[in-house]
Amino acid sequence: MLLTLHKREEALGRGAPVVYLCALALSLCVCALMLALAGKPALGGLAVLFRGAFGQTHALLDALLKAIPIFLCSLGVALSFRMQIWNIGAEGQFALGAVGATWAALTFGGQPAVVLMPLMLLSALILGALWGLIPAWLRLRLGVNEIISSLMLNYVGILVLEYLVFGAWKDPLSFGFPMSPEFPPAAQLSRIWPGVLGKLHWGLLACPLAGVAYSVFLNRTRLGFELAACGEGERVARYARLPYGFLVLLVMGLGGALAGLAGSIETSATLGRLQPTLMVGYGYTAIVVAWLARLKPWPIAFTAFLLAALRVGVEAMQLELQIPAAFGQIMEGAILLCVLAGQFFLTYSVSLKRARPAAPKASPQPEEAQA
Amino acid sequence: MSPELIIALLAATVQAGTPILYATLGEIISERAGVLNLGVEGIMALSSFAGFMACHLTGSAWLGLAVGGLAGALLAGLHGVVCQVFLGNQVVSGLALTIFGVGLCNFLGTPYIGQSTDGFHQFAVPLLADIPLLGAIFFRQDALVYLSYLAPVAVWFLLWRTSFGLGLRAAGEMPDAASAAGRNPQRLRFSGVLLGGLLCGLGGAYLSLAHTHLWTTGLSGGRGWVAVALVIFAFWRPGRAVAGAYLFGGVMAFQLRLQASGTNVPSSLLLMLPYVLTIVVLVFSAARARSARKNGPTARNSAAPAALGVNIEPVG
Amino acid sequence: MKKLLRSVGACALSLALGLTLVLTGCEKAAEKPAEKAAPAAEGPKTGELKVGFVYTSPVGDAGYSWAHDQGRMAIEALPDVKASIVEAVKEGADAERVIENMARSGYDLIFTTSFGFMDPTMKVAKDFPKVKFMHCSGFKAGENVSNYFGRIYQARYLTGMVAGSMTKSNIIGYVAAFPIPEVIRGINAFTLGARSVNPKAQVRVVWTKTWFDPALEKDAAISLLDVNADVIAQHQDSPGPQEAAQQRGKYSIGYNSDMAKFAPKAHLTSAVWNWAPLYEAIVKEVREGKWTGNRSIWWGMDKGIVDIAPFGPMVPKAVADKVLAKKAELVKGEDKIFVGPIKDQGGKIKIADGVKAEDKELLGMTWFVEGVVGSVQ
Repeated sequence: MLLTLHKREEALGRGAPVVYLCALALSLCVCALMLALAGKPALGGLAVLFRGAFGQTHALLDALLKAIPIFLCSLGVALSFRMQIWNIGAEGQFALGAVGATWAALTFGGQPAVVLMPLMLLSALILGALWGLIPAWLRLRLGVNEIISSLMLNYVGILVLEYLVFGAWKDPLSFGFPMSPEFPPAAQLSRIWPGVLGKLHWGLLACPLAGVAYSVFLNRTRLGFELAACGEGERVARYARLPYGFLVLLVMGLGGALAGLAGSIETSATLGRLQPTLMVGYGYTAIVVAWLARLKPWPIAFTAFLLAALRVGVEAMQLELQIPAAFGQIMEGAILLCVLAGQFFLTYSVSLKRARPAAPKASPQPEEAQA
Repeated sequence: MSPELIIALLAATVQAGTPILYATLGEIISERAGVLNLGVEGIMALSSFAGFMACHLTGSAWLGLAVGGLAGALLAGLHGVVCQVFLGNQVVSGLALTIFGVGLCNFLGTPYIGQSTDGFHQFAVPLLADIPLLGAIFFRQDALVYLSYLAPVAVWFLLWRTSFGLGLRAAGEMPDAASAAGRNPQRLRFSGVLLGGLLCGLGGAYLSLAHTHLWTTGLSGGRGWVAVALVIFAFWRPGRAVAGAYLFGGVMAFQLRLQASGTNVPSSLLLMLPYVLTIVVLVFSAARARSARKNGPTARNSAAPAALGVNIEPVG
Repeated sequence: MKKLLRSVGACALSLALGLTLVLTGCEKAAEKPAEKAAPAAEGPKTGELKVGFVYTSPVGDAGYSWAHDQGRMAIEALPDVKASIVEAVKEGADAERVIENMARSGYDLIFTTSFGFMDPTMKVAKDFPKVKFMHCSGFKAGENVSNYFGRIYQARYLTGMVAGSMTKSNIIGYVAAFPIPEVIRGINAFTLGARSVNPKAQVRVVWTKTWFDPALEKDAAISLLDVNADVIAQHQDSPGPQEAAQQRGKYSIGYNSDMAKFAPKAHLTSAVWNWAPLYEAIVKEVREGKWTGNRSIWWGMDKGIVDIAPFGPMVPKAVADKVLAKKAELVKGEDKIFVGPIKDQGGKIKIADGVKAEDKELLGMTWFVEGVVGSVQ
């Protein structure tokens, strides 16, 4: 007996959540199995994970907080992925955004918040965008592959940040430790409602704004349509006389600006100063999120939140069950792989038929998977 | 710099470049077959541990190498299953593979940190080692380095001089054409992924078996990412991969020696060197490729395999 | 599918947000009494003492976090103490959350063991006044925060004496992690130690900007061996440099723990941490209700918190005796390491004749002493 595959005539509609839930359940089973193998309570462990991620208000708030930079970076890279520009430089653009914000905060420190905040944002956006434009320009003018240049610029961006805090911007009061002086209060994003919403800060506002702008840009503007058309590749775009070069610059610039925005929010709201510890790899996580969410804004938000919640929950597991940090990585990897494989069933159905499907196709060649 | 120091630098270059070279070659095979595997870092991490364990338990360095390669192929196989069978996005699958592989080896390996293994040691090749200059640079290394001199030739031969290689490249360029020609592109891609994983695994095993002779967490240290970048740098060709790996290894070795000889340049700037230089070299070679493209039909020489990253959809 | 995904996403996100707001109310009701029920800060603490440790790297690394974990195990062996860890915590926003979770889960005493945890610790401490915080290697303190560290530079000085005695080329290589005061101070003490027995010795520094990349750190050591260094020291968590020295038949000096097992033929000695006495003392203080914040605890060899590992067989007895005599002084509490005259790399006097550098100066050291070759950045 063989399993046969059919491409669904229409992508799975109502059943999609079921597919996702099944994939998630499968991956959780894998995790439970691994917990059991490690000699820890399997179901209890998953309960701790769930409680640590969703079971308490502060956990939800923490996850939301952690999701902010991931969401913004992810939106930024998704934009360029839509036209097959492989921008993986969000990490470096994030670093440069933080550098820009810090420069403004240190230079115009005396100004009130209404002046200082926009200046910080502006310089973060500009620096982030510039860092994103370098690979774009290299690609358009010199034909340098943007994957490699944006990846290399990640390392360089982080080292620029380090160079500054180990050198020129080192706080004279930090006993020589690599950190900039603390930002003046006017340069620190304040918390929305400290007693109730915990550490959640006004940077959160950037998410719906960016998300809506992203949707409107793609679905309502001429440039957005042209961008979608460019998704077919450079040759098609040039043939259709679309402004391909301009669009490449645009998506890379905007992507860089979004990552820079995330960087400035993180420095200003969570650290309150520039420090190398700012860089924790959100720029790379963003790529996973963007693809897992298939480059769509709402799913990006949802996935960013879930992934952040997973990481927050894993910390709770670490503390309560005393499992090593590596275990959390294995779980995250397993969950990602399961969910990714599960997405298959959104577009394909599997049936237990012995013969080929009745509907004749041009080249019937059913993929055979072992039963 | 004195001549001895330059020779030492070049010898160190070869050594530092070797694990990156293996991984780059592995990724070239995988990408030539049309499968982008961003899990190289995870594969190298896991293989460095698997190879170490096998050698540690049996005392045989060659067995360790084999197990390291096998572990790499196995982990890459997981990527193959997710992407080929379930048509998962190759970017996400690869990144997830890295997280998974690094986590798995750290989890399994923690109890073995601090134990050492015999592994491979440097030995001079008779006659060849006595060649002035070249001998000291290339022929006073360990067995895996010598093997790495053959690897690019072998990969080139496999890809361009065998029918299997032809099919493999077809699966990466035009899967439809491959299947029209009676080949099974899925199967070809899968073997490309496995073979690529095997080579990346050798690179990982090199680190623990020949370079450090012990295993600790974080042994791959980002070399897998460098390899992924170097594949593009190499225009998907084994010969240029050698240049890329040695260039990168060389600049890294150079900046360390610059520090060791007592420079006053801040280390952050020196550490930028390999990355900046990679871009600069790429700019020059890309410019050359562009002018070549204008002059003739060699355009495809520097481009990615056409169907890279695009999964083959089953028809049914 | 597009529509559906979008609506699912929308539903889920609004659900999450809604849930957040609803639960906020519940939590306020639930958390208040719990906080009141928490034990008073003053007075002896009876019953189980929950102690939390936050590490920046995995414990398995046989390095810095591993050394702390040895200390943690010592206090876990005490009656009625539960000592838990969270490892591989990234410094920054993640750290704040992890520390806060610990404080919220009823931990009485929390050790945050890395410099980057300083600001997060201070922030959380403000919100949890009843919990006692100990931050390692920083310079901030508060009502319920004290900081602590060990004078590992004393051990470095002794290992420097060994290196200075054993070098024949008079070039000693030092593979260093990041140019921060802790590392710079160690290099300086090491150099002073080396030059106290061998005024011709120079120490060459290579920065790797990694705490833990065994292969790169080995390469760094090889680069130093290539410029004729014949003793390799390290401020690095991995044993990579040890391996390099052994391979070339040269000597090495380890850090964190006794690194002899990594390179038995090369290893002269190591500068090692022994956190147990400090951790035991702090737990005792908390038990007896004597713990206070706003302190900077900086213990040295006199309290046994830092030490050197047993000498390798190649260290001649005369050298060993000389080093042990100096060690005996330090154990007695006579620390004259940073007593002037001490010049910087340019030959300028930085610490005047007969003056002993204050702890504050040591904590913020950003210059190399004479005899170090390399950039301080």
